[in-house]
Amino acid sequence: MLKQLLLATTVLAATATTAMADIKVGILHSLSGTMAISETTLKDTMLMLIEEQNKKGGILGEKLVPVVVDPASDWPLFAEKARELLTVHKVDVIFGNWTSVSRKSVLPVIEELNGLLFYPVQYEGEESSKNVFYTGAAPNQQAIPATDYLLDELGVKKFALLGTDYVYPRTTNKILNQYLLDKGIAAEDIFVNYTPFGHSDWSKIVADVVALGADGKKVGVISTINGDANIGFYKELAAAGISADDIPVIAFSVGEEELSGLDTSNLVGHLAAWNYFQSAESDANDVFIKAWKAKMGEKRVTNDPMEAHYIGFNMWVNAVKAAGKTDVDAVRDEMYGQKFPNLTGGTAEMLVNHHLAKPVLIGEIQADGQFDIISQTKEVPGDAWTDFLPESAVLMSDWKNKGCGMFNTKTNTCVQIKSNY
Amino acid sequence: MNLYLKNLCLIAFLLSVFLGSLFGIAQAQDGASPIQNLLQSHFKKLKRSSSKTIGPVIEAIRSSDQPEAKTVLEKWRAKELWYRKSDDLLVFVKTSDKKNYELIDIATGNVIASASKKQIKQIKPNSGVRALIDGALVFFRLGDEDEAVRLSALTSLNRDPKAVYLPIIQAAIAIEKVPELKAKMERMERLLSVQFEADTPKRVAAIESFSDDMGIDVRAALNPLLSSKVKVAMEVPTMLELARIIVPGESLKNDDGTAGIAQYYEWFSGRSPELNMASAYQLLLDAKLAPPDASVEDQKTALIANIKDGRVGGVDVDELNSQEARDRAYRSLVSNGLAPETISNEEKQAVIEEATFYAVYDEKNLAVIAAARKALKSINSKVSINRFFDLFLDAMSLASIYFLAAIGLAITFGVMRVINMAHGEFIMMGAYTGYVVQQLISNYTLSIIVAVPAAFAVTFAAGVVMERLVIRHLYNRPLETLLATFGISICLQQLAKNIFGTQARPLTAPDWLDGALIINEVVSISWIRVAIFVLGAIFFVGLLFVLNKTRFGLETRAVTQNPRMAASMGINIDRINMLTFGLGSGIAGIAGVAIGLFAKVTSELGSDYIVQSFMTVVVGGVGNIWGTLVGATLIGFLQKNIEFFNPSNTLAAQTYMIIFIIIFIQFRPRGIIALKGRAAEV
Amino acid sequence: MASKSFFMRNPSALIFILCLAGFTIAITVFSESVGNGLVSTSFLKTLGKTLCFCLVAIAMDLVWGYCGILSLGHFAFFGLGGYMIGMWLMYARTELIVIKASQALELPLTPQELADGIGTQIFGVVGGAKIPVVWAFADSLPIQLAFVVLVPGLLAAVFGWLAFRSRVTGVYLSILTQAMTLALALYLFQNDSGLRGNNGLSGLQNLPGLEAVAQADISLWFFWGSALALGLGYIVVKLIVESKLGNVIEGIRDDEARVRFLGYNVEAYKLFVFVLSAVIAAIAGALYYPQAGIINPAELAPIASIYLAVWVAIGGRGRIYGAVIGAAFVSLLSSWFTGGQAPDIPLGFYTVKWVDWWLVLLGASFVLVTLYAPKGIGGLFDRFSGGTKP
Repeated sequence: MLKQLLLATTVLAATATTAMADIKVGILHSLSGTMAISETTLKDTMLMLIEEQNKKGGILGEKLVPVVVDPASDWPLFAEKARELLTVHKVDVIFGNWTSVSRKSVLPVIEELNGLLFYPVQYEGEESSKNVFYTGAAPNQQAIPATDYLLDELGVKKFALLGTDYVYPRTTNKILNQYLLDKGIAAEDIFVNYTPFGHSDWSKIVADVVALGADGKKVGVISTINGDANIGFYKELAAAGISADDIPVIAFSVGEEELSGLDTSNLVGHLAAWNYFQSAESDANDVFIKAWKAKMGEKRVTNDPMEAHYIGFNMWVNAVKAAGKTDVDAVRDEMYGQKFPNLTGGTAEMLVNHHLAKPVLIGEIQADGQFDIISQTKEVPGDAWTDFLPESAVLMSDWKNKGCGMFNTKTNTCVQIKSNY
Repeated sequence: MNLYLKNLCLIAFLLSVFLGSLFGIAQAQDGASPIQNLLQSHFKKLKRSSSKTIGPVIEAIRSSDQPEAKTVLEKWRAKELWYRKSDDLLVFVKTSDKKNYELIDIATGNVIASASKKQIKQIKPNSGVRALIDGALVFFRLGDEDEAVRLSALTSLNRDPKAVYLPIIQAAIAIEKVPELKAKMERMERLLSVQFEADTPKRVAAIESFSDDMGIDVRAALNPLLSSKVKVAMEVPTMLELARIIVPGESLKNDDGTAGIAQYYEWFSGRSPELNMASAYQLLLDAKLAPPDASVEDQKTALIANIKDGRVGGVDVDELNSQEARDRAYRSLVSNGLAPETISNEEKQAVIEEATFYAVYDEKNLAVIAAARKALKSINSKVSINRFFDLFLDAMSLASIYFLAAIGLAITFGVMRVINMAHGEFIMMGAYTGYVVQQLISNYTLSIIVAVPAAFAVTFAAGVVMERLVIRHLYNRPLETLLATFGISICLQQLAKNIFGTQARPLTAPDWLDGALIINEVVSISWIRVAIFVLGAIFFVGLLFVLNKTRFGLETRAVTQNPRMAASMGINIDRINMLTFGLGSGIAGIAGVAIGLFAKVTSELGSDYIVQSFMTVVVGGVGNIWGTLVGATLIGFLQKNIEFFNPSNTLAAQTYMIIFIIIFIQFRPRGIIALKGRAAEV
Repeated sequence: MASKSFFMRNPSALIFILCLAGFTIAITVFSESVGNGLVSTSFLKTLGKTLCFCLVAIAMDLVWGYCGILSLGHFAFFGLGGYMIGMWLMYARTELIVIKASQALELPLTPQELADGIGTQIFGVVGGAKIPVVWAFADSLPIQLAFVVLVPGLLAAVFGWLAFRSRVTGVYLSILTQAMTLALALYLFQNDSGLRGNNGLSGLQNLPGLEAVAQADISLWFFWGSALALGLGYIVVKLIVESKLGNVIEGIRDDEARVRFLGYNVEAYKLFVFVLSAVIAAIAGALYYPQAGIINPAELAPIASIYLAVWVAIGGRGRIYGAVIGAAFVSLLSSWFTGGQAPDIPLGFYTVKWVDWWLVLLGASFVLVTLYAPKGIGGLFDRFSGGTKP
């Protein structure tokens, strides 16, 4: 019986391989589990973009066919599903992933099978894979400008780095810690705290942060707190009567989508740094929001990773057109230097280190759950290897000219072609 | 420093007025008002305002003596200042549809034109700029007729105290009528005196007046008086404003600038010595008191530079795969004069020990230093006692949350011996009930009043249904009950996801639960936590009463102790079991509303608490409400204490707490308050 | 005990081994590596992992179905086994990369530089550079292989000794085991644990020094290894439960006090079964994670161990093939339903999406099995074969 069942599933898996001439776009976002809340939106974004492209006649006269799989917020399953997309469904490109862990899980598979992945979320950097285009922000496109804003504009002298205990906050805080030290902030003026996913007991941590102000220096919070935990954190801040004027909080993981689960009246004035806000004023953005709301409903909001997919997808379409085929190596060569207008008014450009040049925006939370953009920079080129850690400062990534994503400029050698997982 | 700032502002102001008269008027439109001209002369800085450059502009507007200055500053601060893109004219606007705007002249208040959204642009001061504007507005607001405005001026003054405020607050005190406000102003005046008063006796008196005030603003004013700089010398310094002698790698800095010993303190306080060996040596290097040392990197560079025919310093390059070999090669390079001399770690250590490291107060006024040290010492000792008390409150609060989450379980598990792994999901159901009620009733107070009984009713019903359909059939098979209720738990969690989505849902507390109960400047606790504490207390007393003083309670206890005997006494066991289970589940529902209020409502809400709840019941002792109370208190206090000792890692606290409980149960398998006799057999 | 007599006495074991062998050969024939490619490499990996699940289910059945200890923490051992082998896989692979990169340098690496290079590569992503103490033996395959057995075995021994000694039984023990795996998961979630926190260990499918070998081949090797381990595990557990020892532990399951009064050292028997079961789980884990490619603390979360209990319960407790059937059936069905391959059922007003409803179905079927079919799927077999197993 066991054998029969297994064989039956094999046949099913095999029938799915029936080849079609169309161009296949794999979508690798969790539709269930803890990350579903964020990633489902991105799946819908991709379906919308593909639909629109098909209305325009597809690419090279061929229709785009989306292949959606559900890795269920299970990191090993991401690797399995990526392999399935590439070998069974034979997709030409994959758009997917949210967490860094899931990306690290997928990396070896993508590199082994020479796939192409567009990764749309802000991340901690320190990586540049030949087979991945990073359309989200690297630390220098989000964390560093945000810290500069606290330092220069708000005159913050003492920092609380609060984060959820996982890769992104860990690495980002390590970079920021070094950056702040370089900026002359004393080590004892940097308070670091990590909490588990979904943490809810914030009273002591908030009290600790308030107590930081005892030596007369202005305190600011840099928050890499993820997801649901933000709710309890902001509630406790409000309960302690701390306004953004007393202790400003700048968050890297709180966007429109996260705020829609919160009563924001107490959070007005707190900050977030992204490359995109729904409130950005541009014609392209108006069109995008309108299409999104028409498809998903009036109440839905747009956010930064959606814009990243928007840019990534359009760049890929243009690269395929330029290459005249969907072959990964050919498309990759065409990707370098691809330009596409982003939704905030400027132009995004794909760099040879597989990162984008994008503007950095800082927004203040408003009572209606939207952000008021109070600062916008020019396009900042994404840096794969941070300049603020000694061991990474010597590294650079240049796939076009050097063919290497981890090139040591001091010894002039390529450390490795594959990524460190 | 502050005098300097004041002068700078003055110079900037004069300069801006001068420049304004030179260019501004020439640029401005015909017949423009003086305030418009003034603003136009700073238009570039206004448009992209940065708190680094905007200071002089704000000062210029404030001191311009224009009647509109205050309004302009207020509107600017409220992001209500706009400009027309075509001619940069600054205006206020009025709009009804957010598409078409009427432009209002800033001087006259008359509508002067209309424009579409695309033709005008909003000026958005960031919060740094807004703080500066607030600072300027203090001058207007401190004498305002409205009491609330005066208070807000005092708040913004407190956020950024400056010497210039000292005279104006003194003037304001003279005319203030409201006693509480007057007291606040007087306190503010003393606070400013601490920092800016020129007359030493007055200043010392102000400092001394704060010696039992734990306010964070007081500490923020006093601490900078004792800021110090680290220095190094070869002999012990003798100056009077010496703060402390530093032992590198050992001593740490106390709040009042004196030195403390870290050695044993370090591992549990997390505070590390002020100066480590590397920085100490760096200080010596900077002071040119020690010879430079060659780092491993420098050594490598020197070796690479001297490679000749595969050999360096008489050693084969291939052999240089150990530090020892590299040292040998480097030494031979040094002896040949090919590389600079270097010193060994032992020599470094000796140099550091020979030198004296010390810190000197930045403040030179000895009377001020002495007064500040004394005041801070007394404040800090008070603060540390109060922080302990605050931690105690936090722990009480956490204990009450655990108690609430676990008490329903204590009834079903403890009294009925039924393992309900879906207990967490009942908590979640209660929270979602609260959310649904809040969607239907928009008044938060009313919705909470409705939500509590509604949550009880929903989960009571769910509990009874579950007992009838599943648990009843498994009364003598505890492990099977555990598994079956797990199945239900998986089902309910996924159903909640299907119905409400995976996104966290808001459950907003009414206004009267906003904010915190502030006992003093250090000790405070949010009202929601107080409410949860009260709720826990009510449950505790209520359940004690129900179980010990009512017929239902008597029957429940009888069934607990000996079901067969109870049945033969005419007690309807089925009914008692059903009601007890319903009661336990219903309480979980109410706990869900409370937990949802203070944290969030998600489908995983219950599973976050289930293991802790079981721990609470098991540690406390099964079958006893007192046991649950003791268990919750123990776990709450334990967790907070571990957090206190390791403040940067909350996860560690949870880990160690669970490990502690596992070990604890080995020694008291029946919990702290153990039942005796037949009832103790599971 | 001669194998011939063993199989003669246990025809079910013979049937199982033959089925497993036939299945392995069939899959090999259809594989991409040596066969016609009908079974894709990704599906081959799924099958290999399923075999590992079957093995851990056997371990669970031994401790629960035969000894009556409902452990809700067996994935702690499974995961630890994975971590132990994962450390070597990661370290050795990274070491090769660092050494290769160093060949372009002027000076050969000192041991310190080599360690720093490896540390930066492995721990760079979690903001570290130093190699933690727990990695002291990560460069040695034999030692890490020994750790696969020793570390989880030791954990089980210490935990079991403490728990059994103080007579913690029944649901208390279940909750304690659950707390154990939760504590371990939380510990591993911390960065300070030195095992890359939430990131876990990744890239485990790439065997050090075998970069040139295709994944299709490596997957097949691991599939064979998993099948072999499952077969051996089956025989070992069968031998134990059929022996006198097996009678004693079944006695403990049915009435612990009576066995104790008969003069048996109940604690020692329980501890032996518990540790053995943990070791089998750890071996399954060590085979599983190189196929999955990544291990992280979420794998040790209590829910995973609960699913293990679900598999065994649905398959049928107290019969080893039941555990195997349960694990294979439920986990494959689970991945089929959640993989988006199952067709949605449109009901007009509502579309049933299996991704959303599968867990509801699983939970409900679990309740039903517990209530009405405590023997699980295995019970059906008994009915057909007329067996009289308890």
